[in-house]
Amino acid sequence: METSRPARDGRERRRRLTTSDLLVDPDALREQVRDKYREVAVDPHRTFHFHTGRPLAARIGYEGDAVDALPDRAVESFAGVGNPFSLRRLQPGERVVDVGSGAGFDSFIAAGQVGPEGAVVGVDMTAEMLKKSRATAEALGFAHVEFREGLAESLPIEHGWADAVISNGVINLCADKRAVFEEIRRALKPGGWLQFADIANGRPVPPEALRDIDLWTG
Amino acid sequence: MLEDTGFVDIQIGDPVDTFGGATGEDKARAFEVCGYAFLARRP
Repeated sequence: METSRPARDGRERRRRLTTSDLLVDPDALREQVRDKYREVAVDPHRTFHFHTGRPLAARIGYEGDAVDALPDRAVESFAGVGNPFSLRRLQPGERVVDVGSGAGFDSFIAAGQVGPEGAVVGVDMTAEMLKKSRATAEALGFAHVEFREGLAESLPIEHGWADAVISNGVINLCADKRAVFEEIRRALKPGGWLQFADIANGRPVPPEALRDIDLWTG
Repeated sequence: MLEDTGFVDIQIGDPVDTFGGATGEDKARAFEVCGYAFLARRP
């Protein structure tokens, strides 16, 4: 099936890639990602193939004071791969979208940078992560942070709403990365910033491995 | 792909040894996988 839709910003939108165009089935990959990150939400102290929590935040260069100010429940399920604030600090009053917000760690860091005059919307597809992030935001009294259910390819965000979009270790887990970047562009204001962290490989991965869905999350 | 989707002023940060010491380290080392920060602007 090939689908297309008119761009909401007037640009001609490229056709959506079909499942056969992509390396893996997007729905199957989403289910696998949900399964993995459900575990990270409910059992964050078990061993994963990646680091988590405060040790990870220190390892990848987050400001210690900002992390120390957060309660354990805001940090323990953090599973990012880099620091999306390292190349640009968010400005007070900015409106921010966190794509794949997980248990909310980066959203809470963002909330501290934009301050109460700003706003942060975290978007995630995993129910357990949303439950945890919403409870933490309430416990912290962060009225300018909210979490919405949604996908990176179809963000529940008004066109041109965001001054900045952040993300951490999420886009590599999406089958159609072009669709994700196009959707982020739609959500940004003209002049808005995309600042994200993700993994990249220095050596080519064999084609058969790229099509092995188990290797995407493990 | 960032350029293809209309972003400009693209910057890439230094590599971070994201998986060092984790159980996924061997696989990450095999393909030189690191974490990076990216910055780009919608014109």
